[in-house]
Amino acid sequence: MHLPDGFLDTPTVLVTSTGALVTLSYAVRRTSRELGERTVPLLGVTAAFVFAAQMVNFPIGAGTSGHFLGAAFAAVVLGPWAAVVVMAVVAAVQAVGMADGGISALGANTLNMAVVAVFVGYGAHRALRPLLPPTIPGYLAGVAVASWLSVVVASGAVAVELAVSGTVPLRFALPAMTSVHMVIGIGEALIATTVLATILASRPDLVHSPPRGLSATARRGTSLTPPKTWGFLAAALAVALAISVFVSPFASQAPDGLERVGQDHGFDGAAESGDRGFTPISDYQLPGFENPALATAAAGLVGTLALFAILFGLGRAFSGRRSKAAAAGGAVAASLHPLGGHEHKDHRHSGHTHRGHSHSPHLPEETDPDHDHHDDHDHEHGGDS
Amino acid sequence: MSGAHHFLTDTRFGAGPIHRLDPRAKILGFFGLTLVGATTPPTAIWAFALYFAILVFLVGLSRLPLRFLLTRVAAVLPFVAVVAVFLPFFHRGGGREFDLILGVTVTEAGLVMLWNVLVKAILGILSMMLLTLTTSFPELVAGLDGLRVPRVFTLIVSFMYRYSFVLLEEHRRMRRAMEARNHKGRWLWDTRIVGHVISSLFMRSYTRGERVYVAMTSRGYDGTMPAASPPGIHAPEAVFLTLIVASLTAIRIGVAL
Repeated sequence: MHLPDGFLDTPTVLVTSTGALVTLSYAVRRTSRELGERTVPLLGVTAAFVFAAQMVNFPIGAGTSGHFLGAAFAAVVLGPWAAVVVMAVVAAVQAVGMADGGISALGANTLNMAVVAVFVGYGAHRALRPLLPPTIPGYLAGVAVASWLSVVVASGAVAVELAVSGTVPLRFALPAMTSVHMVIGIGEALIATTVLATILASRPDLVHSPPRGLSATARRGTSLTPPKTWGFLAAALAVALAISVFVSPFASQAPDGLERVGQDHGFDGAAESGDRGFTPISDYQLPGFENPALATAAAGLVGTLALFAILFGLGRAFSGRRSKAAAAGGAVAASLHPLGGHEHKDHRHSGHTHRGHSHSPHLPEETDPDHDHHDDHDHEHGGDS
Repeated sequence: MSGAHHFLTDTRFGAGPIHRLDPRAKILGFFGLTLVGATTPPTAIWAFALYFAILVFLVGLSRLPLRFLLTRVAAVLPFVAVVAVFLPFFHRGGGREFDLILGVTVTEAGLVMLWNVLVKAILGILSMMLLTLTTSFPELVAGLDGLRVPRVFTLIVSFMYRYSFVLLEEHRRMRRAMEARNHKGRWLWDTRIVGHVISSLFMRSYTRGERVYVAMTSRGYDGTMPAASPPGIHAPEAVFLTLIVASLTAIRIGVAL
């Protein structure tokens, strides 16, 4: 997903760099306010973690491999603004320190991996959390969908940038990028859920956006959570709108009738290339965008939504089944339910979980923490392998 | 971890006048070269010849190992190949058409686009390689600091740099332990094990971050760090920057005419 130099034209470089810079400077200010002097050590080490984790390849099959992006994960664990800073730092170091991604494309790469991926992941996570059952598997299913979407939508943003620059038409770039990343996204979702399950089992206080059992206590403790949630949702919506603003001019550019468009483009192109050859700006009228392109984009959208729905349904079914199974064997995990217990006023300082608690008054009735946690029993120790 | 991550080893290749320049001058020079190159119309072939002449001259001055440089530059070729694959389907308006095999045709405009992507990607990666191979990472960060990049950002970057070593080493140890237990990741469903590795990496790094913060606080950390002053802008830096700015301006004026 790291675009090199030369793949984007000058207007796209300017727009994406401005967008990335504005978001990043806001995110830095916001994070510094929230974390205070802990900002530097915590985000520095977390950035090092994302950097190291991105070097861990996972197999896709047939000899190829993808790597963990970590944007949605970082958003869930650190909160979206800190995640933006961390991901942007990683992208900048990769571009300057390792020549991975071009300098002129740094704004676009930051926008895709640190802004779009983070907010799509966070937005999907926050939107799904109230819909899914308030159990750990339900929560993890939401994280899985969010991680998958963050990777796929970010790859779609890459395709849109390439198309706007006139490098590869959208009808090729979009299916090619998103189909590959739909597979990579599965690995991303698997890793994100595994890591979150482990963190929830051992240090749930670290998670910025924990399962609903936890956030219920937080909401009762302080009244700060709901407006924040809406703010984040609004930010996610803004990013989505920005993407659609990028796409919609081309949609309106394509008039009815396939032949007519082809004819028009033939004329236009000939006249133009005869005159001034190729200049970056002339690419603004996207040649590849005819009705088939629209059809492809629509198909991609429908496909994404359908997959989203399927994953969502699976997650629900899965979590329901697992909860029942867990209920049958319940008490085994009695020692593992620190989730409901602690006050969660400042989740980073609240520190240590009360493992001795046998009852957690803040949890909703239908959520029995014993049952929730039972499901994660099998992978909580895996990290030490 | 692997050769690609040379910057983590903090080894500088070769030695020469470019290595000794103030990092601020080098950052400005090489970023400028990349950005000016990336915004040059691809039809001005001679301009790119001149950009590469500047880069080759600087490579010669800094006596970098050519083979290493070329293998790193080649890493950008897969991206270019992706663009090349789509060219036959991408009949952007007009120009001459060229026949490839089996009736597959490529338009002139398409070829210009391929050239555009190829030359700019190589130009960008080459100048970034020159920058990072002649400048150590701490110097780079100090240079960015000197260029008034927000301090929070450069501090996070320098922390990340320090702890990357620690975390990569931890990951290497875990990987070795996995291999000793006969782990062979082959398919997508083996990813779960990678997830476990990343989990413990995260737990260890985050708790380490907290410990580091406490240790720093106990040593009087209040959110600010003393800044190191870079070498300073003297005659060599002035010559370097003047040459780059003058030649880039001349080339761009030539293109515009």
